[in-house]
Amino acid sequence: MEKLSYVGKSLPRKDAEIKATGAAQYAADREFSGMLHAAAVRSPRPRIKILSISDAKARKVPGYVTLVTHKDIKGVNKWPVVMQDYPFLPEGEARFAGETVALVVAGTARAARKAASLVEIKYRELPSVDDPLKALEKGAVKIYGKDNVISSFVIKKGSVDGAFAKAAFTVEGEFSTNYQVHAYLETQGSIAVPEAGGGMTVHSSTQCPFYVLDAVAAALGLPYHKVKVLQTVTGGGFGGKEDVPALVASHAALCAAKTGRPVKLIYGRKEDFQSMSKRHPGWARVAYAADRNGKITACRVKYVLDGGAYSTLSPIVLWRGTVHAAGPYKIPNVDIETFAAATNKVPAGAFRGFGQPQICFAQESLIDELAGKAGLDPVQFRLKNLLNPGDRTVTSQRLKSSCGLSELVQAVRKRSGWDKKAGSPRVRGDIASGIGFSAAYYGVGLGAKGRYLDRAGAYVNVYKDSSVNVNVGNAEMGQGALTVLAQIAAETLNAPYESVRVEEVDSSKVPDSGPTVASRTTLMSGNAIIEAATPIRERVFRTAYSMLTGMGADASEKMIAAGGVFSMGGKSVPFKAVVAECWSRRLKMAEQGWYAAPRTTFRMRDGQGDAYVIYSYSADAAEVEVDLKTGVTRVKKIWAAYDVGKIVNPRLALGQAQGGILQGMSWALYENLVYKNGIMVNPNFTDYVIATTADKPEYDITFIEKPYAEGPYRAKGMGEVPLIGVAPAVANAIKNACGARVKSVPLLPEKVWKELKKG
Amino acid sequence: MPEFIAKPASLKELWKQLPSLPASRRYLAGGTDLVTADNAGAETSECWVDIGDLPELNGVRETSSAVFIGSAVKVSELERSAPVRKWCPVLLAAVPHFASPSLRNMATLGGNAANASPCADGVCALVAEDACVSLALGGKRRRLPLKDLFSGPKRTALKKDELILGFEVPKRPHTGAYLKLGPRARFGISKAAVALAAELSGRRLTRAAVALGSVAPVPLYAARTSEWLAGRTLSAETAAAAASLVMSEVSPITDARSEAAYRREMCGVLLSRALESLAA
Repeated sequence: MEKLSYVGKSLPRKDAEIKATGAAQYAADREFSGMLHAAAVRSPRPRIKILSISDAKARKVPGYVTLVTHKDIKGVNKWPVVMQDYPFLPEGEARFAGETVALVVAGTARAARKAASLVEIKYRELPSVDDPLKALEKGAVKIYGKDNVISSFVIKKGSVDGAFAKAAFTVEGEFSTNYQVHAYLETQGSIAVPEAGGGMTVHSSTQCPFYVLDAVAAALGLPYHKVKVLQTVTGGGFGGKEDVPALVASHAALCAAKTGRPVKLIYGRKEDFQSMSKRHPGWARVAYAADRNGKITACRVKYVLDGGAYSTLSPIVLWRGTVHAAGPYKIPNVDIETFAAATNKVPAGAFRGFGQPQICFAQESLIDELAGKAGLDPVQFRLKNLLNPGDRTVTSQRLKSSCGLSELVQAVRKRSGWDKKAGSPRVRGDIASGIGFSAAYYGVGLGAKGRYLDRAGAYVNVYKDSSVNVNVGNAEMGQGALTVLAQIAAETLNAPYESVRVEEVDSSKVPDSGPTVASRTTLMSGNAIIEAATPIRERVFRTAYSMLTGMGADASEKMIAAGGVFSMGGKSVPFKAVVAECWSRRLKMAEQGWYAAPRTTFRMRDGQGDAYVIYSYSADAAEVEVDLKTGVTRVKKIWAAYDVGKIVNPRLALGQAQGGILQGMSWALYENLVYKNGIMVNPNFTDYVIATTADKPEYDITFIEKPYAEGPYRAKGMGEVPLIGVAPAVANAIKNACGARVKSVPLLPEKVWKELKKG
Repeated sequence: MPEFIAKPASLKELWKQLPSLPASRRYLAGGTDLVTADNAGAETSECWVDIGDLPELNGVRETSSAVFIGSAVKVSELERSAPVRKWCPVLLAAVPHFASPSLRNMATLGGNAANASPCADGVCALVAEDACVSLALGGKRRRLPLKDLFSGPKRTALKKDELILGFEVPKRPHTGAYLKLGPRARFGISKAAVALAAELSGRRLTRAAVALGSVAPVPLYAARTSEWLAGRTLSAETAAAAASLVMSEVSPITDARSEAAYRREMCGVLLSRALESLAA
């Protein structure tokens, strides 16, 4: 492979300084002349018929401006997300406690919140559903369509009943997982600024600026070219800023349109908990069959996600879960049925891993049980069954060369000392130590279900002072996109890294590039940048060559372009000088690029065909200590290995890995959002706890880079991969340590304690 | 947050100002409970009275028989206080379990007591330390055993405007432990916590005081267990018997934080570990 100057190097983050010094301007930091503030009026109960909304008392609050309800919507009162069942503001019925029913606009944020608390909603309570399994029962109260099913998928292959009948070993189990809250540092927020001529500019904390564009244009009834979305520095997303920022921004825009003044809407933490998206609670019944040699012959899965009151992203989340539901194994007979059920609770949506962690917890826990029945070590058992290059997945997709799963498993096995530890868990006093394993795969990008959105644009502009500006349609949200994409641009142009700037998304500068999700940004925007930069690169390189030969360089030697300098035969010329010469020759120094994901062949009817273009892979081993008296689990160390293709920035990749592991471990052990009778009980960080540095395990992280020919500099995607396999590795380690098989996440001490009491 | 925050410079000024302030008022010290409640929409007073810098409530002082800890002393100051380090081993052991380092820089023991949460780590430790609380209302002063300050969750014997001046811990040489089960390693509200103060003569407990957090409507002084322990010798049997006794003395509930049966058993586990830690 060619020698690279910037890609593959741990270059400093482009946004490190502004974030470390506090100079970064988040949505709440922006001010506009004449700006007003909005606050939401929320439904108090799980399901209500709205009889009237009165601002009679709210009007008395000094600074009160107006009330905004569905009557103020000039466009269509349907938020254009996948299935369009969520109104921007409800007209007759509100379907979950915390749903925005109306908005109050006032002179200050404080006055707006005060006035919102004084708006009176007269309502009649309607029968509601809070349990997704009960929602699917025949006699259930119908809150969504005729069966409360938001969405459903199948994967069917071979003869599962036959395989189970012939099996030497079978296992079956029911597993469940709870919500996860994104816990981004920056809550949701947006500012809408009306423009002369009827347009609207929206500043939004978002990972999907084009979803915001779709929604604001729809709510205001404006053509797209009159709406401009500017992504503000975004303080964390993790999927929580995929769909819902569009709703928040539309609300701000409705207020701005009605008042004719800029309106800021910044969420408090409690309302953010109550109304913004979450990781879906999951329930699954999984069964595996194996032959006497320990080869998996069949897998049967029923998988249910709790979608909440509106569909939002549930169909796509469920589809990803469906495709990956059997785990990264060769299985000839498969019967997977999945459902997203509606309940009168907060709509669940995207969260790092996107429908995979829930089912991965179930199936990887059960794989350990199956290995036990077959009398095999869990790692040996996995190695017998793992997908390797050339193998077919459960959707019959043949995997190409970029598949390093077996190597990952071997690496983790060796580094963790698995063979010594797994067979001999230790007990010292009340503390039992154990080790657990998991393996996972992850389809990079949107796949067959999201194929129409799987494209991205870029605009690369080399100014005459040789500084380079890059616009993309995918967002920085802390994951490092601005840095990694700048490395790709610098590499392609041979421009000094310091001279390249990638901007936060401006929807007017690049075409709709789809969402910043599915670990797709490096791949999609990276390829779009390469396409844009390549013609400029040719001009720059040709100009450099002619300058060098003009300087008397020995043209029999090859020109070398590295680190922002062009050299040949003892002469050299910097990028800056070459760019100046390009401009003096009136060459075109700005270009657009575009990348569309290759075709997929997946059929919804039977779930067969290519589901994703390419997969990334992970293996995890977790070492835990379980207190046998209290049931408290402490994760001591996680060994993980990833194949995410070429690593563009090793330090950022390591950060992604550590963050993903910790977030996965936190979900596995601690995070417990509680609903009681359709009301969220702990919408705060006092009682919804996430892991802190005091809980952090030791990390041992290995990257095995299997190059992906279609990827930018052979990269795949990484962001979500490290989270997925953590929970089952921890659960398997608890089982290994003390014999307790806990089948629900979070793996709370109370649950371990109860299992231990059973003996 | 209320429209108005008063900040008197001295106790004298406070008593003078109070009658002119809105009737719906609360004291503000570190603000770590009050501001959180306000953010959650659960605090609706018209006025807060900031007592955090009142000189009379600050500082740790030693008298001949007691250590006086001002109610506005920040929790993080306790670790640096020589008298606390010498005379309050249980309180000292509780400090790392008290919220987070940044909150400890704000929070006060007075606020911890006035908030009257059954989970208050500082209070639970002070109850085991046999602390008394000094109260003032205008010119009137009174003194109560701290364990008697609490009448239920978030309810105290404090009269309207009555102020906690501080806590007195008797100067008796003793040892102790504070063990807590929270939702994670650090920085969380306890599911169960046990504070143990013990005077030892060799391996014999001449006096013991057990207090528990989050397992009763109030920070609980376990009178029967404490009494039973006095005169016993530290051993595995003593620990086991004390554990089963304390389990019968608590009245935990099931809520979003944990379950009653688990909490009850954990009181026993934590107490027996606290006793074992003394033996070690």
